Formats: sequence, structure tokens, C-alpha cells
Amino acid sequence: MWENRCKVAVSGVGFSKATRTAERPLAAHALEAVKAAVEDSGLKMSDIDGLATYPELPATGHTEVDGISIVSVNCMMAMLKLPNLTWHIQTGSVNIGGAVQQAVNALLAGVCKYAVVWRAMHNPKGTYQNLPGAHAAGPLQFTGPYGFGGPGQAMAVAYTRWLEKNNQNREKMATLAVTQRRHTQNNPHAYFYGTPLSREDYLNSRMVAHPFCLYDCDIPVQGACAIVLTRADLARYLKPQPAYLAGYGQRLHFEVAGRIGSLSSYMEGGSSSAKLTWERSGFSPKDVDVAQIYDGFSASVIYGLESYGFCKEGEALDFIQDGRIELDGELPLNTFGGSLGTGRIHGLWHIIEGVLQASGRAGIRQVKDANVCFVGASAPIVQGTTFIFVREPY
Amino acid sequence: MSDWSKVTRPIPVPNEWTKPFWDSAKKNILSLQRCQQCHHFQHPPYATCVNCMSIDLKFEPVEGKGSIYAYTIMYHTGDKRFASAVPYASIIVELDAAPGALMAGNLLDAPYTQAKVGRRVEVVFDPLNEDFTLPQFRLAP
Repeated sequence: MWENRCKVAVSGVGFSKATRTAERPLAAHALEAVKAAVEDSGLKMSDIDGLATYPELPATGHTEVDGISIVSVNCMMAMLKLPNLTWHIQTGSVNIGGAVQQAVNALLAGVCKYAVVWRAMHNPKGTYQNLPGAHAAGPLQFTGPYGFGGPGQAMAVAYTRWLEKNNQNREKMATLAVTQRRHTQNNPHAYFYGTPLSREDYLNSRMVAHPFCLYDCDIPVQGACAIVLTRADLARYLKPQPAYLAGYGQRLHFEVAGRIGSLSSYMEGGSSSAKLTWERSGFSPKDVDVAQIYDGFSASVIYGLESYGFCKEGEALDFIQDGRIELDGELPLNTFGGSLGTGRIHGLWHIIEGVLQASGRAGIRQVKDANVCFVGASAPIVQGTTFIFVREPY
Repeated sequence: MSDWSKVTRPIPVPNEWTKPFWDSAKKNILSLQRCQQCHHFQHPPYATCVNCMSIDLKFEPVEGKGSIYAYTIMYHTGDKRFASAVPYASIIVELDAAPGALMAGNLLDAPYTQAKVGRRVEVVFDPLNEDFTLPQFRLAP
């Protein structure tokens, strides 16, 4: 087991009011979420001495402007002017889960005491995923001329392979979309709070890129969320019940950029990251009481369930049936609604839900006896970043 | 069947790793990057052999027969240049001669519903302009 098991905890969490379009600049969303997380933890802003984010804009073909379409550490520091800042970073890979893990490492190294991590996501005007312009350079020269644009189609080709290789039917995914949307109705912060979704809605919805229909894709929104991390011995004295980090893992996949459609990467990236997390935490999939698994595209949940070891390869669409992922099921899944319910703010929201469930602060969606909470914070077909949060630090 | 006649495709921009692929395609020959040490084919091209880390790589002609490895049917018309072809099949092909190398293409001369994993296809050459010819695929007889 990991010598640093349960030595770091997540304390406060915060959200901005997400909107479909960019009425307020992204920096205002990030600031709202960070202030809420610091307030939730009972700390003063001047106590914060660490900052981390992953500021990427996943929309293709749009300009990155700090404060408008991304919120960098510089932008956050310009807003907060933290007098006691001692550590900061923005990660360029491993997604937001990597930024959280860097903050954990910084706390363990003793270079800061109270670190804030945020993820702010912009919804640009116009088409979200653009094909390259008149010319396609780099890896896109082999895909763009054939009408492959953003990640949606790259994910879709891998999903057809998964479906046909395993003799499976995309209609079974309706259970995931409908169950998560029902979970969404217990999460007032979610974009689709108040908007139900039926099995018929899913089955009759328009196709985007087969096998993905509209409800297999998270909706782009403008919003942000944030967390406060600290050492376990300090977290204990803060306002909320902490969620202790029992272990984490990360693994980049081995695919060359532009080699799309391959499924080998999800089993390598996802299972390697999860293996580290199981070994470090001392738990195994059967110990998990509730799971949050990244679902920017629905198929990512399938790859997650299989590569993390919750079910066998090729069986995930059967695994999610028969009430297994309901709040009172064997493995309550994406209990906050997932990205399919909240809108596209990437994996920090999955981490937050793992924290809220572990600390008993999930309100009406609280899973009974949620002591061991698993989080897969990124799409394992791209990279694995996995966490386990626990209620008791032993 | 998808109507490609009104589609304006992005033009490839070759670099030092990829130029031989496009030069060869212009002559209606499919050439893929091959490691001269372990003889592994790879696509897209890369700076090193992803199998054995050798940097001794050359492009070699390969027979353009293979199977559909994966595919998607595109319905979204976000990019107006491709809107007239929607719905269309974008496919990933694994060639018999180059296992592990994955090539993107469109399924030409067939209804998009014919795209299925495992279906046999063969390469055809589709001139894009005076400088570039795209390797494409159609169902094999």
C-alpha cells in the first residue's frame, strides 16, 4: 500500500452557475467556483497558498484567450492576488485529474498547505468542433481530408469497433443515458436539472456520428467548478467532513497521434491507472460503494467499467442494466448525473462527486454507507486518471 | 450514396515524415512507412519505429487490400464543406499487408449502410487537385 494513503484530503467544493452560452466571461465563472470552494471549506482566501488547473479548451478551431476561453493560473492569480502563494502549476497533459494529482504531490512535499484546483470550460460561439481550415497539417493530414473533425468522430469509430467486435447493440446505452439523467434531477447545479429524459427520447434522438446520438454526447456549457485540497491533519479542523484520498493512479496511452479507432489504448491506459489506484489504496473493485466514471461521450463509461476492472472486456453494456447503477444498486454510477447531466466541465465534477459521497455531503443523492468512492476522471481511451476517496482515514 | 462532388476537402500539408506517402499516392501507389530493422509497418508515419525504437524508416509500396477496422457514419453538418455528403461513412482500414497500421478513408461507391467492421475493401485513388491524390476505399469485389 501507498505510504501516503489518506494523508491528503479534499475539503471544500464550489461551482459556478453554468450556462449554455458565454454570457459572462469564463474568468467570472472560475472566480465564482473558487470563492465558493474556499468558503465551503471555512478558510479565508489569504489561507490559500497553492493553485493548479488544466486550462485546455477542447473545442477545435477556436482561439484561446486567457480569461475568455481559458482561465490560466496567471489569470486566477491576477484576480485573487493571494498574499501567501507558495506553489502553482498548470498541466498540459493528463487532463484535470493530473492537476489534482500534482496538488496532492505538492501537499505531500510540504510546499503548500491549502491548494485550490479549478476547471473552467468555455462554450465558444459557432460550431464547437471544426474541421481544419483549408489545409490539414500534422496528424490531421491523414484524417481531416476524409471528414474527421474533433474527438467525437475519433471516439465514434472506436465505439463501432467495440460494438461489432463484442456483438453488442447501441440501444442498450439508453439505460446509461436515462439513469444518469434521473440522477441529474437530484443535482441542482447540473445543466439538465429539471429536464427529464426517457428511453424513447434516447432511441428517437438524432444521430450525430453513428453510433453516437445526441444524448451520447455531453452538451457544451460555460461553467466552472473547484476544490480545496489540504493535508489530512489540517483537513480535520476545517468546516466540512473531509474526503480522504486513499490512492490515485495515472497512465498515458501508447497511441501515436492520429492513429484513431484502436481500442488497445483504453485497456492499457485505464487498467494501468486503475491498477496503481487499487494497489496504493488496498481496495479492489468489489470494495467500491459508488463510482464516478468520466462520460464526455457515453462510450467512455463502457471503457472505464471494463479497464478499471468492474466487469470483463466486452460486457459493460450488459453490466449497466437491471438497476445495477441506480442509487440503491450494486454500483451506483455517476450519481450527480455525469457530464451528460451537468454539461461539459470535464472530470473535476466527477472528483467532486466522489468527495461529496465519501464525506456524506451528497444530500438527497447520498448513497447509503458510501465509504469507498472510486473516480475515473478522464476518458481511458485517451489516458487514465483514477482516484479513491474514503470516509474514514484508515 | 453520399454525393462527394460538392465537398471541398482540407488539403494535406506534408512534412518531412509524411511527404513520401503523398508523393507516392500522386502516382497511384500506396506506400506506408516501414521499419528497416524489425520490418513493422506503421501509419500514421512517426519519427521512430513504435515497435522497436529504430529510426531506420523507409516508405515501401503495399497492396491496397484490407478490411474495415472501424467506422462512423457522419450525420452532423457542423462543417458546411461536408454537409452535401451527409450522411457519409468515414472508415478506418487495416491493410492485410500492414497489420497494426490504421488508415482513414471514406467508403466510396457504396451506400453508407455498407460500412461494417470486417468488410473487405480495396484502395482507389481520388485526385484532390494537381498536387494531391487521396487514397480512398471501396468495397472489394
